[in-house]
Amino acid sequence: MTVGSITGHRKRRWGKYVMPYLFIAVPLLSFIIFVFIPMLVSFWWSLNDYSGIQPPRFIGFQNYIDLFTRDKYFLQALRNTSIFVLLGMSIGPTLGLLTAILLNQKVNFQAIFRTAYYLPVMTSLVVVSTIWVMLYNQNGLFNSILHAIGIQPVRWLSNPSIALVSVAIASIWQGFGFETVIFLAALQSIPRELYEAAMIDGANGWQQFRYITVPSLRFVIAFVYIYGIIGSYQVFDQVFVMTSGGPVHSTTTLVYYLFSKFQDLRLGYASAIAYILFAILVVFSLIELRLSREK
Amino acid sequence: MNRHRTSTRDLFGRFGIYLVLIASSILMVIPFYWSVSTSLKLEQFVFASPPQWWPSPLTFQNYISVFTKIHFQTYFFNSVFVALVTTFAHVFFDTLAAYAFAKLTFPGRDKIFFFMLLGLMVPFQVNLIPLYRIMSTLSWTNTYLALIVPNLTGVFGIFLMRQYLISIPNDLLDAARIDGCGEFGVFRRVVLPLAVPGIATLIILTFMGTWNDFLWPRIVTSSEALYTLPVGLAQLQMKNTSNEAQIMAGTVLTALPMILVFLFMQRQFIEGMTAGALKE
Repeated sequence: MTVGSITGHRKRRWGKYVMPYLFIAVPLLSFIIFVFIPMLVSFWWSLNDYSGIQPPRFIGFQNYIDLFTRDKYFLQALRNTSIFVLLGMSIGPTLGLLTAILLNQKVNFQAIFRTAYYLPVMTSLVVVSTIWVMLYNQNGLFNSILHAIGIQPVRWLSNPSIALVSVAIASIWQGFGFETVIFLAALQSIPRELYEAAMIDGANGWQQFRYITVPSLRFVIAFVYIYGIIGSYQVFDQVFVMTSGGPVHSTTTLVYYLFSKFQDLRLGYASAIAYILFAILVVFSLIELRLSREK
Repeated sequence: MNRHRTSTRDLFGRFGIYLVLIASSILMVIPFYWSVSTSLKLEQFVFASPPQWWPSPLTFQNYISVFTKIHFQTYFFNSVFVALVTTFAHVFFDTLAAYAFAKLTFPGRDKIFFFMLLGLMVPFQVNLIPLYRIMSTLSWTNTYLALIVPNLTGVFGIFLMRQYLISIPNDLLDAARIDGCGEFGVFRRVVLPLAVPGIATLIILTFMGTWNDFLWPRIVTSSEALYTLPVGLAQLQMKNTSNEAQIMAGTVLTALPMILVFLFMQRQFIEGMTAGALKE
């Protein structure tokens, strides 16, 4: 250190004040350019009549007013999406918890079963949807099985009153393995002594579930539902591949509708749809934030 | 304990558990089995009645067609290339930034971190249209740049890595600094090796997310030369003229790499997927 404390000093300042900013420079710039600015611009466009070709024309909240008062397809998309979320959330997490509890009963070959449930989770939604389109075909596997037991074929994806349910079934099949894995990990972290103590006190299986399992899992359950809701509200890939929003708009979801308005070059209108989706999701994100803070 | 009460009832209970697990696992696997089996059938037997559980005759023609008539190898290359570059970039940039946020002190650190965390709340669809405009203004649509550059780094990855790095003892970093390491040296020699489990998680999440991504590549590419596998597959599926057995060969080829990676890295996968949920 005899050579010079000045260079050493400069080096320390460089290390202390310049390096950290260099380390975060790319992520920060990327965030500003690709997330933050587009987010603001999108809001601005939602207040404009904008086609992407002509310059934007400011119209205040007219897009939002039109969406809620004049656009029955938007209202239908909102309703379809909510039904899709409701269907998924009333079945998916329950199925995930049930399979996790079964897997947690010290079964042999646990890893193999878990793999089976998990396989669709890491498969692309486009692949899953493509396979299900074939299964749902008029002459596909499902109708063949129904035929064999003497039931009339079902028009899974072409009957407007069934198509949304069919898309939801495929989505639940695809996704609940994620919840199984999350719940299984959480179940395995509950201390065994709790159950042993409860058994000594004479608690039966249901009481153990009600008074030990559910309270221990409450944050994980909340996480699963909130992320499930947030994810399901953004449903797009399945609809795009399986039904293109049809028949007669019966499976058009918010993001699919946004996508179709984007393709019609109604960019201001599409941005307003995006912000309505954003508003719905923010409510759930805030609940999650609140809960994780409580934790 | 209650061993003497282990009765026929428990035995039936165990039996019931296995029965439900086996039956539901079969339900999970059947669609995959059906797509593989269909991909090996001649087109006229795809919807045969009664259904052909085992292809007869068994043919590999669909796989050959997928590479000769449709340019699946192009989609395959694009998917691999985009996923690999994106994953490498995420590992480098996310971990480096996470290190700065977790272990270095500098003015504005927490404010900047909090500002970026807000990004976790913004759904991608909100940014989609302006982002597309940025790409078209730069003439980046239908290039790899549009597929890669907006996704070089991400707030979620930084957040995840910060959770891992924050537990590294400061003494270890100070020791390296005293030994004459610069901050980047500390990062490369001390932080990176210690962050390997976290990086494995980050690699899996990023690779899987990019490999399976559909909306963005669908919007930003219109030329077949730039399609990734999901985009190419969806386009193929939507053509009425497409051959169902060929489409199934396409789904198998799209899903297989991910499934193979999963089978080899199962533990990391499961840990990765649960990391976000169980780590607060």
